[in-house]
Amino acid sequence: MLFRRIVLCALLVGALAGLLVSAVQHWQAIPLIAAAEVFEGSTDPAEPATPLAATAHDHDHSHDDAHAHDAAEWAPEDGTERHVWTAIANVLTAIGFGLVLVAAITIWEHLRGRPLASARTGLVWGAAGWICVFGLPTLGLPPELPGSVAAPLGDRQAWWLLAAASGAAGLGLLAFVRGPLRWAGLAVLALPFAVGAPHLAGGPFAGYDIGIAQQMEALAGPFAIATTIATAVQWLALGGLSGWAVARWVRPALADLATIP
Amino acid sequence: MQQQAALQIARPKSALMAIAMPVLTAALLGAVIVYGVGFSPIAAAHNAAHDARHVNVFPCH
Repeated sequence: MLFRRIVLCALLVGALAGLLVSAVQHWQAIPLIAAAEVFEGSTDPAEPATPLAATAHDHDHSHDDAHAHDAAEWAPEDGTERHVWTAIANVLTAIGFGLVLVAAITIWEHLRGRPLASARTGLVWGAAGWICVFGLPTLGLPPELPGSVAAPLGDRQAWWLLAAASGAAGLGLLAFVRGPLRWAGLAVLALPFAVGAPHLAGGPFAGYDIGIAQQMEALAGPFAIATTIATAVQWLALGGLSGWAVARWVRPALADLATIP
Repeated sequence: MQQQAALQIARPKSALMAIAMPVLTAALLGAVIVYGVGFSPIAAAHNAAHDARHVNVFPCH
């Protein structure tokens, strides 16, 4: 009963927030990705000598020199099909985040034993989620445009997960622990930066002609702003809707369970 | 707020399990979904979610 309520709430919250953020991205971040893809792959003629460029692989949509392993794989057609898949991916991501948020707000309300969940407290949860999966990871690994070169993918994914997990644990300690132990949360927040994000010497546009590198750099700033706004919209929507959904649909189920002898 | 939390501990354990299990399972399911969309190395998943990965600043490529 409780599980079903949480899942249904997350489906609703995720669908709404995912579609909203898809609309926001469609007019700000997606055009920047498309602009960067024009340059993506233009390092390839000079590639073989540098291990840097080895990580800057192509996508199917840069047709001329897509690497063999990519060319063989399915990819959505540019245009409507690609936008639809992006929206599906956004909705799925938002459902995943929504499940975590709804679950967290549910257990928070249960442990505190008061009707705390609301759209307003949900906004605070959403802001915390945004810090964990955008704020902290982005301090170490700035938003990447297609075509930018970076440290090996596995290293970056591992560091991203470390940053997000440290953010959740650190904010949790600061917010919910009483006494001096809570300040350990600051150390936990600093942990991923003590480890250090994986970076390559030469920056994200190494290997490109200077002219192209400058044009891509000119896209990087607006892309950072666009992703900041899009993810902030997504997380505030996720948080507010999650708090509202918990108060409306999860709270009654919680009350039933709490009276079990 | 501490008092509130302390009151909850008095609740029966069976209720705690009935609440903790579904909550944890839901959160885990959410993490698996996010991993599938944002981190899965399967090429088709990467290509389908490519733009979403970039905008959500998941490491991509």
